[in-house]
Amino acid sequence: MAARPSSKRPVRAAAPATPASPAARPLVLVYLLGWLIPGGGHLWLGRTVRGVVFLVMLPAMFVIGLALDGRLFPFTPGEPLVALAALANVGSGLPYLIAQALGFGAGRVLSVTYEYGNAFLITAGLLNALVIIDAHDIALGRR
Amino acid sequence: MGTASHLLLMALFAGCVAVVGGALLKDTPRQQARTAAEIFGSLVGAALVLGWVLYFLPL
Repeated sequence: MAARPSSKRPVRAAAPATPASPAARPLVLVYLLGWLIPGGGHLWLGRTVRGVVFLVMLPAMFVIGLALDGRLFPFTPGEPLVALAALANVGSGLPYLIAQALGFGAGRVLSVTYEYGNAFLITAGLLNALVIIDAHDIALGRR
Repeated sequence: MGTASHLLLMALFAGCVAVVGGALLKDTPRQQARTAAEIFGSLVGAALVLGWVLYFLPL
């Protein structure tokens, strides 16, 4: 009697052969590296060009946001919109941690470019979240 | 950044989002460049159209 095929979907086995064999990468480490270093997940998975684009562009957006007097929002209880902005800020990973440690991101509300700075900072974090999801798809062999 | 105009900052923002978006959404460099150009044009164009619409509204 022939063995029945397993009902589990062989997701990882379907991964295409790439130079870095992404199927062998632990997903948690892909997420962690992708969050900490924007584009780091892609670089680790062998998608060098795409990873370098993210590695340059996302921290650049973060730095521009700080230079435009944007604010790194705190997690304030009772203010859900501020909390969402704070969550988006955290998405930037290492640049966020460094800026927090060095005391950057206080924000200057009276600055003409304050809202532009916030837009850059928040968008950098949210785009990095999309980049992590893309790295997830690559690690599973979907891209 | 004190001398940067609103239009320049908006274009800079659109450019950054367009490059990342193009790299995310497509696989070949040609497709990525085309998608980035489309995103950039859409963002800047929509902002200009909205700006003119709001200009005529008595808000």
